[in-house]
Amino acid sequence: MSAWLRNNLWRHAISLFMCAFALFPLYLVVISSFSQTGSLQLTSFIPRSISWHNYSLLFNSPAIPYLTWIRNSLVIAGSVAILSVIIGASSAFAFSRLKFKGKKLGIQLLLLVQMFPAILALAAVYVIMERVYRFASSIGLGTQAGLLLIYLGGAMGVNIWLLKGFVDSIPMELDEAAKIDGASPVQTYWLIFVPLATPVLAVVALLSFIGTFNEFILARLFLVDMSSRTVAVGLQAFIAGQYSRNWGPFAAGSILASIPIVIIFLSLQKYIIGGLTAGSVKG
Amino acid sequence: MNILFRGKFALIAKLVILSGIAAILVLLIESALAKREYAIALFLAVSLAALCYTYLSARTVPMKFFLPGLLLLFAFVVAPIIYTVVMSNFNYKTGNIISKQEAITQIKGLGVEPDANGTTFDIVVGRTPSGEYAILVSDITNHIYFLSTATKRTDLLSSQVKLNDVGVATAAPGFTLIPPVKLAGNEDYSKITYAYADKYFISVQGVDVGAVFRQSLRYNATSDTFQNLLDGKLYKDNGRGNYANINASGDVLQPGWRAPNWFSNYGKLFSDRQVRGPLFRVFIWTIVFAASTVLTSFAFGLLMALTLNRPLRGRRFYRSILVLPYAIPSVMSILIWGGMFDTEFGAINNILGTHIAWFQNATYARLAVILVNLWLAFPYFYLISAGALQAIPSELLEAAAIDGANPRQIFRKITLPLLMQILTPLLIASFAFNFNNFNLIYLLTGGGPKDQLGGQIAGATDILISYTYQIAFGSNTQDLGLASAISVIIFFIIAGISLYGLRKSKVLETFG
Repeated sequence: MSAWLRNNLWRHAISLFMCAFALFPLYLVVISSFSQTGSLQLTSFIPRSISWHNYSLLFNSPAIPYLTWIRNSLVIAGSVAILSVIIGASSAFAFSRLKFKGKKLGIQLLLLVQMFPAILALAAVYVIMERVYRFASSIGLGTQAGLLLIYLGGAMGVNIWLLKGFVDSIPMELDEAAKIDGASPVQTYWLIFVPLATPVLAVVALLSFIGTFNEFILARLFLVDMSSRTVAVGLQAFIAGQYSRNWGPFAAGSILASIPIVIIFLSLQKYIIGGLTAGSVKG
Repeated sequence: MNILFRGKFALIAKLVILSGIAAILVLLIESALAKREYAIALFLAVSLAALCYTYLSARTVPMKFFLPGLLLLFAFVVAPIIYTVVMSNFNYKTGNIISKQEAITQIKGLGVEPDANGTTFDIVVGRTPSGEYAILVSDITNHIYFLSTATKRTDLLSSQVKLNDVGVATAAPGFTLIPPVKLAGNEDYSKITYAYADKYFISVQGVDVGAVFRQSLRYNATSDTFQNLLDGKLYKDNGRGNYANINASGDVLQPGWRAPNWFSNYGKLFSDRQVRGPLFRVFIWTIVFAASTVLTSFAFGLLMALTLNRPLRGRRFYRSILVLPYAIPSVMSILIWGGMFDTEFGAINNILGTHIAWFQNATYARLAVILVNLWLAFPYFYLISAGALQAIPSELLEAAAIDGANPRQIFRKITLPLLMQILTPLLIASFAFNFNNFNLIYLLTGGGPKDQLGGQIAGATDILISYTYQIAFGSNTQDLGLASAISVIIFFIIAGISLYGLRKSKVLETFG
């Protein structure tokens, strides 16, 4: 056996096996989206015929407001991404750069609060928003505005924490120079910090976008109306029924909704891994 | 550029935005007060005051930066946490959802019983000359007619009333008919108990029928008790959200209300056999699930990282395929896996040539859950392991090789210990995440299999968080108090694990 075989054959074998494992369900969905049987069955590895039926169903069937769901998801996830970064960035700046009483305690509390998994407070959020609905029906239970506010609140902890890590890495000298030149903290923030941090802010916004786009359970509890649903909740309803599992349109809808997310993800890969680790391993 | 920060323009812009926000908040406070939501109104008022003070004063520079974030964080993260802790000390479940005042009203409404014959009459609704609601009652078989208001019954002779073609009186002196179409949406007239005879009264059952009832439970506001007028039983507030028979504490009136039951939800977790048994089983499975997920995914991720650590033809290609499971929205991929495990039409049975009912059998269902989570999670572990391998200085490995260590020794004595040092905090964080991996369980198996008809709430694959969800929002009894108590306990477990992980990564030392 040659050295090449000894060194590389097993590595190719393992890689190919794991790639097959990773790809198998995805391949199956692609096939199902082009078939008309309505199940996730593997009749043959190579599809015999290609039908666009499921795709046209998504856009033409009045019973499936797919485009509305996509729009809802984009609007909600987009607003959360932008607003949470705008609000989070200034908080992170304050925690990183400004001196004030109770700062250390504040950061520790932030960390503690972040540990309380959002889903545990689900019942409480539900009850609170039910009460809000009684006097302000436009932001209470069942509204997209209410859901947006909850997402924003939930995004704060993570975003402030993430952004603080990035702010810490911007050299202090720049602010000090600005300060000597007579800039107020507000000016330092807008004229020095924001321009420097724009790429980072964009990355955090995109991460926030992906996270919100993927969120399921709050959206499921909150958005009851067919037309106010997000794409994740809407698609799940296709196959939630015990007897009428409709995999064809689900597969087609999932593929279309996933493509932009996968593209964002792959292009941000290195930041995502950095971001995932920044929260827990620093220093 | 400076015009944006100093001078008149900046000041006016600030005032306009601030007063817009203030106006919205004032409106909200007003409507919250109108609905007696005092806690929410108080929070909004404090927010308003803080916003005005912060942005109008010159002395609050740091606050200007973090106040919006702080308010959002408080409203939607901290307040729900506090509320959860409070709820965990309340008797707050199906049958005890409403307030005490609402419960008293409902018990009064339910505490009636029909007379022995279940007498009903044909009625029409109208008003007396003084504007009071009244009903004109017709007993069409015995030709008896009378007018009744909340306080008084006035008998009428057949000659005094005008009958319609089915023999129901529709007009009488001192009575103005309200046409039934005008009663739609009006509930006031139906809440009145109209005088009949003795202790009996007529209750309106729709626009044209009245039935004879008498009060069986009477509320005494001064002693805060209900008395059953038929058998004399006395029901007193038992302090835990119900009126209970003073002689038999198990005999309570429904509905109850939400009332504090100090720590008894926590007590239930350990003492109530029906809660303790499933909870313990679920807890063990949660740990097994989280640990085996981390172990299997880490093993496969590390294997891939080692495999692709050195240059290999097609490495970039492999790499981009391997991260795909991590990039796809997980809600969708979990649901797809759910379809693949279908007994009849799923691809898994299809390929294996088997006919296994994956989600009906506890062991198979658990295996499926771990397999799916392996698929979802191994790319993450691959990426972080690959990163950690790159971070190990190559000088160390070269030095070891010069000292005569073989590749196996180098891996076991140098690479692996260094790798673990870097990755342990991430493994702990991942354990904590999977401890609460609600989406996976909820979307894949729904916690099943479980004996739903037998009233079982905890399924074989239920983890603590999905079990808690079932308790709070499930189809059986919904017990928000108990669910909150479990949530608080989970929080302490997760906080413990996370603090341990943080200490390992020394992040706490870099505060400041």
